[in-house]
Amino acid sequence: MSDQLDFIIRNLPNLIFGFPGQRPGGLLLTLVLAVVGLGLGFLLALPIGTARVARSATLRRAAQVYIWVFRSVPLILLLLIVHNLFSAGRLWLETSSFVSALISLVLYSSAYQAGVVASGLRAVPEALIDDARTLGAGRAKAWQTVRFPFAVRIMGPAFTNQAITLFKDTSVVVVLGVADLTTTARIALGSDIENAPFWVATYLTVGALYFLVATAIAQVGNRRFGSKTVARTGFVDRLDSTATR
Amino acid sequence: MFDWLTREITNDLLRGVWLTVALTIVTAISATIAGVAVGALRMSSRGVGRRLAGAYIEVFRNVPALIQIIFWAFAVPNLFNPATRKALLFDNAVMDVARDLTGIPIPYYGLAGALALTLNTSAYIAELFRAGASSIPTAQVDAVRTLGATRSTAFRTLVLPAGLRAAFPAMSTRLVHNMKNTALVSFVAVPELFHELQASIQSTFRATEFLLLGAVIYLVLAAALSALLGWVDRRLHRGRLRHQGHRPSPGTRERVAA
Repeated sequence: MSDQLDFIIRNLPNLIFGFPGQRPGGLLLTLVLAVVGLGLGFLLALPIGTARVARSATLRRAAQVYIWVFRSVPLILLLLIVHNLFSAGRLWLETSSFVSALISLVLYSSAYQAGVVASGLRAVPEALIDDARTLGAGRAKAWQTVRFPFAVRIMGPAFTNQAITLFKDTSVVVVLGVADLTTTARIALGSDIENAPFWVATYLTVGALYFLVATAIAQVGNRRFGSKTVARTGFVDRLDSTATR
Repeated sequence: MFDWLTREITNDLLRGVWLTVALTIVTAISATIAGVAVGALRMSSRGVGRRLAGAYIEVFRNVPALIQIIFWAFAVPNLFNPATRKALLFDNAVMDVARDLTGIPIPYYGLAGALALTLNTSAYIAELFRAGASSIPTAQVDAVRTLGATRSTAFRTLVLPAGLRAAFPAMSTRLVHNMKNTALVSFVAVPELFHELQASIQSTFRATEFLLLGAVIYLVLAAALSALLGWVDRRLHRGRLRHQGHRPSPGTRERVAA
């Protein structure tokens, strides 16, 4: 038992911050991947989600195809495709697999978030926009002052869900060898048969770390967006479920 | 142009597709059953069951599927001593049958992967089912109870079907996600589609071709599964108004359907 504890304590700094000399890694790198993926993904999702509810049928169609493609291909496959496209010939560069992972996560999360943005925009009552127009606001002004702020408020809980999902999905970057939490655990255990007894404890620790952060994101999201009122009606689930359409 | 797609590789890929489809169907069914059961327990009045169901949902939802897969496949066997491990998990009659049936060289890994996917997806489905069921107007439940139905009859005749109906669109999304997650069991040496793609790339060095082919296959699989689930959804709603008693906010329904 004590050697179990020993192994975990010895490796905990590596799991959280990465191996010395390769920092940031571990959970810290996982967070970097999730935050950048979510942030840049959101910036990309805004125009795509807006296009999804645009007047032009071509724009709507194009956005739909984008969302459909990036939501249908497993992230693990998307990672390899992006890496293959962007790094032909310089596969050994560590930075390159990190960048490939980031690009993949941005594309992947942008498709999910675009669906959320589109559903949020659709959910703004038409009457509200009509009111703004009646009061003399132009189309752009009504969009900027009424539709968009209203939509963002509705999207809040769904974004919390996306943040949690993306945070957990980053574990898949292990396929490119990016030194995130999952990869660090694999390296710490290695293929050494002597480490076999530590597998359960190590993966329980890794699972607990993911769990703690995911739960923390949920807590912050709930406090920020008050999902208690919106989520209970099943509306968040509907936002998620209708997002592909 | 397709010279990289030799007969041998095609056969391997087809076997991979078959395994991916089989894993998808098996885990979708088991996750739906487990999810509805846990969701129902989560709504029960018994404190212990409710709390256990809550813990189940939180834990299996908030730990990445990949970690759960590696945990059950690679970590758990280390809990046993080598002889027990071999007899119990790897080398016995049941595993032999499973090997013949599925073509997975080490069936325990396939089983562990399926278990992990089931736990993960069922935790989501439990929460979706609970949300769907709580959208049933309380008046309806009261009416059924007033007519003399026991709690279990009320559950079977009202809460289960109406809850499933309300939750099904969101559950479908999760089940498609689950299909994509089957690619993760490639990490534990289960030769499903993604694993076969990687093997083909390693043997031919034609990465771009196989990766794009893989993307196309997954797109087709996702579209097929969505269509199938859409068909089930329509059947669940046969002869009923859509989304009855499930109205998020005025105007939303029209707009979402638009």
